[in-house]
Amino acid sequence: MAIQYWRIRDRYYRLIGSRCGACGSEFFPPVYRCKKCGSEDIADREMPRTGKILTHTLLHEPLPGFEALAPFYLAVVKLDNGAKVLTQIVDSPPDAVKSGAKVRAVVRRAKVDGDSGQIFYGYKFVVE
Amino acid sequence: MSGQRAYVASVGMTPIGDHWGKSILDLAVDASRGALAGLGGKKVDQVIVGNMFSAVGASQEHLGALVTSALGLRGTPAFKVEAACASGGSAFNTGYRLVKSGAIGSALVVGVEKMRDLEPEEASRALAMAESAEYTQFVGATFAALNGLLARLYMEQENVTRDELSAMPVLDHANAVTAAHAQFRKAITPEVVSRSALISDPLRLFDCAPVGDGAAAALIVNDDALAGAKGGHVEILGGKIATTEFSVYEREDMLDFLATKEAFKGAMAEAGLAPGKLSLAEVHDAFSVVGALSLEAMGYSKRGQGSKDAKAGKYSMDGELPINTFGGLKARGHPVGATGMYQIAEAFLQLAGKAGKNQVEGAQYAATQNIGGVDSTSAVHVFGRAS
Repeated sequence: MAIQYWRIRDRYYRLIGSRCGACGSEFFPPVYRCKKCGSEDIADREMPRTGKILTHTLLHEPLPGFEALAPFYLAVVKLDNGAKVLTQIVDSPPDAVKSGAKVRAVVRRAKVDGDSGQIFYGYKFVVE
Repeated sequence: MSGQRAYVASVGMTPIGDHWGKSILDLAVDASRGALAGLGGKKVDQVIVGNMFSAVGASQEHLGALVTSALGLRGTPAFKVEAACASGGSAFNTGYRLVKSGAIGSALVVGVEKMRDLEPEEASRALAMAESAEYTQFVGATFAALNGLLARLYMEQENVTRDELSAMPVLDHANAVTAAHAQFRKAITPEVVSRSALISDPLRLFDCAPVGDGAAAALIVNDDALAGAKGGHVEILGGKIATTEFSVYEREDMLDFLATKEAFKGAMAEAGLAPGKLSLAEVHDAFSVVGALSLEAMGYSKRGQGSKDAKAGKYSMDGELPINTFGGLKARGHPVGATGMYQIAEAFLQLAGKAGKNQVEGAQYAATQNIGGVDSTSAVHVFGRAS
């Protein structure tokens, strides 16, 4: 887990996805090939940190390692550039978590490794 | 496709449920013996095992040789095919292609999964491995969470009600009452669904397929191998696997199941069948919303109408197109890597006229649709009653 995380830590901290050099489309998670035009002229790109909730759920039965958070909100957020991110929604009143709500990215503790106790950080979103 | 004709000569399966006393190999052997009985003592050319997570669930890989060794099939080529929950359908497609192309004369395909040895949250983690480690598992999303996101979008965008969404699980449970191999043989009402525990809002316990152990197998043969087999065979008329953008949230339209659309179109074209010809379909409703979106992708329901049509009775045993005739994933059960093979075994029973109390009268053609991930992979097969 640790090396897998370390390799892409900047993507988690700064929401670094992809931008297509041919048509300008932007994506998160990063892509190898543009989903719009098929170009392989792809470069890293920092995503905008604001967007809107497209759909959301309150998860009651979490994966191992996430028990302390349960129940917690997950959402697909459509960022201002059109890229879609799967993310937790935190620090927001329950009635504010709804489709269309404006959200912004924050950095939070994402996970604690079970074996080593190492802390991993990553993006989450809060309702504005 | 040129080449020879391919048939399912026989099938075997274990009941689905808690097989505390049986190992993954015990289950695979039980189902395989049932299917091999149709070969009349001749040797099978190839063994293919469909399985998703034996490494996590049973600390066991190398299932191909493990199974041939147990069955006494020394020398027989064997391997495992994995495509998450579509492992069974994908393994079958591999066997079908090998026979159909003329490369081999017979193949034993067995789908198997041992899930109950794991704690429920460990099973959930094993299933989540079908999704992106870096961007889905990392944020703590389970499969139920992804489908919860999908269900909310479906309900909000297409004005689908709670009771409409419940129609598919209710249908599954009604059909499973008389199915000997089903995990839950008990009818339910929409209220049972809407009052069950929240798993990932709006999805509740009864929207979700259960965890269970099981194995199902089929023997695929060409005309020569069929000669020695005992009657009651079914012809494989078409089969296609399709894939699409891996994670559902990456897709332009999350409600459009493109892999199923493509696989169904391809399999039906190979079979030379118009959609109206099917007598029944086994649909991959791992979650209530997935069943609805699958029927929309296959073209039987218009967009937004899958759950509504199910509620109106279109897909019931006496409806226009009976589906999930032994209970589907929700009530027959969903031992993931075996599920696609249960669907195929059920299609076989229907077309061979061996479905007992679950028989669709006069069944002529059947399709099976088996999904991996949230329609990241879809394996569709079409079968016809042998003439």
